Amino acid sequence: MTRAAAAARVGDPPDAADADRAGAAGSVVLRGLTKRFGAVTAVDALDLTVAPGSFTTLLGPSGCGKTTVLRLVAGFAEPDAGTVHVGGRDVTGVPPDKRGVGLVFQDYALFPHMSVRRNVEYGLRMRRLPRQARAERVARVLATLGLEGLADRYPDQLSGGQQQRVALGRVMALEPQVLLLDEPLSNLDAQLRVRLRTELKELQRTLGVTALYVTHDQEEALSLSDEVVVMDAGRVQQAGSPEDVYRRPASRFVARFVGQANLLPVTAVGTEGDGRLRAAWERGELVLALPDERVPAPGTAGVAVVRPERVALAGPDGADAAAGPGSAAALALPGRVTAVDYFGPYRRYTVAVPGLADPWLADVPDAEDRHRRPGDDVTLTVSGEPSWAW
Amino acid sequence: MAAAAVGAAAGGRGVLRRWLRDLGHDPVLALGHAAVALFLLGFVVAPLVAVAFAPGPADWARVAATPRWRTAALNTLTLVGLSTASSLVLGTLYAFAVTRARLPLRRLFEAVPLVLLVTPSFVSGLAFILLVGRRGLLTYHLLGLETSVYGWHGVWLAQTLSFFPVAYLVLRGVFLAHDARLEQAARGLGASRWRLLGTVTLPLATPGLLAAGLFIGIGVLGDFGNPMLVGGRFRVLATEVYTELTGWASVGTSAALGLLLLVPAVLLFAAQQRVQAATAGRFTTVGGRASGLEAPLPPPALRWALFGLCAAVTLFVAASQGVVVAGSLTRLWGVDHALTGEHYAYVLTRSRPLLNSVRFAASAALLGALVAAVTAYLVHRTRVPLRRGLDLATLLPAAVPGTLMGVAYVLVFNRPPLKLTGTGALIVIAMAASYLPVGYRICSAALQQLKASLDESAANLGASRARAFLTVILPLTWTAVAAAFAFTFVQAVGTLSTVIFLVSFDTPLAAVDVLNLAAQGRWGRACALATALLVVTFAGLGLAYLLTGGRLRGIDAAGRVGA
Repeated sequence: MTRAAAAARVGDPPDAADADRAGAAGSVVLRGLTKRFGAVTAVDALDLTVAPGSFTTLLGPSGCGKTTVLRLVAGFAEPDAGTVHVGGRDVTGVPPDKRGVGLVFQDYALFPHMSVRRNVEYGLRMRRLPRQARAERVARVLATLGLEGLADRYPDQLSGGQQQRVALGRVMALEPQVLLLDEPLSNLDAQLRVRLRTELKELQRTLGVTALYVTHDQEEALSLSDEVVVMDAGRVQQAGSPEDVYRRPASRFVARFVGQANLLPVTAVGTEGDGRLRAAWERGELVLALPDERVPAPGTAGVAVVRPERVALAGPDGADAAAGPGSAAALALPGRVTAVDYFGPYRRYTVAVPGLADPWLADVPDAEDRHRRPGDDVTLTVSGEPSWAW
Repeated sequence: MAAAAVGAAAGGRGVLRRWLRDLGHDPVLALGHAAVALFLLGFVVAPLVAVAFAPGPADWARVAATPRWRTAALNTLTLVGLSTASSLVLGTLYAFAVTRARLPLRRLFEAVPLVLLVTPSFVSGLAFILLVGRRGLLTYHLLGLETSVYGWHGVWLAQTLSFFPVAYLVLRGVFLAHDARLEQAARGLGASRWRLLGTVTLPLATPGLLAAGLFIGIGVLGDFGNPMLVGGRFRVLATEVYTELTGWASVGTSAALGLLLLVPAVLLFAAQQRVQAATAGRFTTVGGRASGLEAPLPPPALRWALFGLCAAVTLFVAASQGVVVAGSLTRLWGVDHALTGEHYAYVLTRSRPLLNSVRFAASAALLGALVAAVTAYLVHRTRVPLRRGLDLATLLPAAVPGTLMGVAYVLVFNRPPLKLTGTGALIVIAMAASYLPVGYRICSAALQQLKASLDESAANLGASRARAFLTVILPLTWTAVAAAFAFTFVQAVGTLSTVIFLVSFDTPLAAVDVLNLAAQGRWGRACALATALLVVTFAGLGLAYLLTGGRLRGIDAAGRVGA
């Protein structure tokens, strides 16, 4: 690597190079991160470790603090407490232009007075890379993103998807170890969003760059991520693989925010070992999967979470057929259909259950559907193991 | 008290610490920050603080006890009421006519208030005297009247003409922003054309009217040029401040008189800021997206009345500019109407005042636009300490009567460490500081239209604040900076109120000379010099317009701050 190229590598001052090679390169570590805006605590003593090369998503409703976390990492805001480490280097208090993380903005923030080429070149100019090296790097980035033909266009002459690519290319040109993405797909139409999602994931894997991605779209989070971090009220509610978060949400909030959830109030009875819990509900006992190492003490109130695709509908007298504590089949609830919505692959039944405030949802595959109508009495049966949520 | 001092000291240390940190991170930003902060402190805040403490108890007692000044104060207040009201009425009608009535000659009518806005006040003043003065073309020669325009009615008329463009610009913005769908909806609900005006159009314009009225009130309070030229023996506080200092060399009492003006001016200014802040959101929601619909036409009778009004104003403005040119070519107005070039010969042989005016105004425009652009950037795009203070200090001159500023400058810069009186530099600084609010508003408006993510992405890509400013922000806002330059230049060329205290034998200014020549009854020379200034003004504007490719932005902002 030439001297100039080395200097152009973002966030990689010579003295930090050794530490980077030791394995911290590309990691993002947040410790006790707190940010207040007046009386509002946007980020509340947040701890988070993003593994190098991973695709990690901060998922949460608007106002949950996820964008603030991203801005704290990028250096656009300073935390009231806590530290930000990027690639093993403490960057707390370091101004944004010296942080060495690339950020793709929700609105792309392309410079409207510069061509695509000049936009992509901008960061390299700021780092005073020689002209030749700049040209080569820009050409490579444009080729990678399929933007060669658009190099001399201006942002207002590009489609949304093209602008999005330029925004990504502008950051990629600096070859950062960490890529921050702030809802980069939210301004695109649905089909393009899905296509770019796939491209983005491939690109991230090819480059081996660490991606920290912010979104409120749970589908996007589940499909893109190695690790999903669900946030609410400035705190991490749950962090884990997409499967973990979806199948075993740790809290009611996560259960409801990630996908649809049917909840049944339960009380912990005792551990079954093997990450399982025995819990009592109104009419019997259930075995529930635990989302993490925490084991609720006997008597703790919680909910059993059942995803709608795990619910099947049986006739009104089916409730008697499914009995026997300890098995998932123990869970059978009588109810009455209140609404039916057809989605193509499945039909979603909304079923009012006596004694429960919220109705249950049952997604019945189109092929197995017996076309029940609102007003029909049914029995809800559950396949697989429900999970415990606090 | 002690606690407050300790707190202030701690606050100061905090500011210093943050500034030193900025200096380490981004030296150009920190130095620019320090430079504008020192400029504002030295040339806006400090002189005002000094002048506030200039009058002693004896001076205040004298001011209170002198009937002449009580009359002047009363006159000032009366004028504020009269001229503000008439400017608002005229400006509103004019704006309504231009935006809603689909009149013939609309383009011409639209240009008139803008021409007036950039025309130095003494041009109108001169024209008044030539048209309706003791030997006026209209009054004496055409109507055979021996009336005099000098007095309260002359000042009222002149001020109405000077200030209605401000109301016009604000109301024009309001009328254009209003969603025509609202008015079409009202028509659809059965409102007659007249009812529509009363129930929808005017109520929607009320916040704009209020803001414009407060602003014009400030302008009338501090107005110096109009009362000086056509006031005659009708005295107002702004002119008394000048007479007291230059005639009697009494700094204490002249400062006291100026401070009497400052109090209501600051109150009006604060009220205006509040109105603007409170209604900013509502305007935009009312405005919203421009719908393709056109607003309903006003009733025909009103339309033709409006056409008559616009035509009358246009004719009067054309006549007043024409009469000044005519006066410059006439041997002695009202007595000997022979054609002559002698007045221009005089102006050109004694060209120093004119050259000074152009040089100083251009320098002031450069300085002012620079300070305005940098301050606007710091306030709106960074988190440097003291942002709120910078914002206030930059807007402060808008609330300070020019004559008080003049007294303050004389007071502060007449002795070491900054003995600047009699220098061109002080005149340049005074001009720049006086019109800082205009340039600052223009630059702020342009900056606020830029997404914050542009600076952030520049920073994220490794640009320091200074480089982001130069490579991203300035290229995207330079037409606004050019507009700030152009408007500062135009206003500075014609200004009287502050600089009249600062001119010296070595630094004569054309605007002040026009006033002096007029006072001596040398109408021809006054008119020739005024015409030359007018040419310079429009040449400067035209040049700026050409250089920006016709994209001189922010003229509305100039209207919001007032001339």
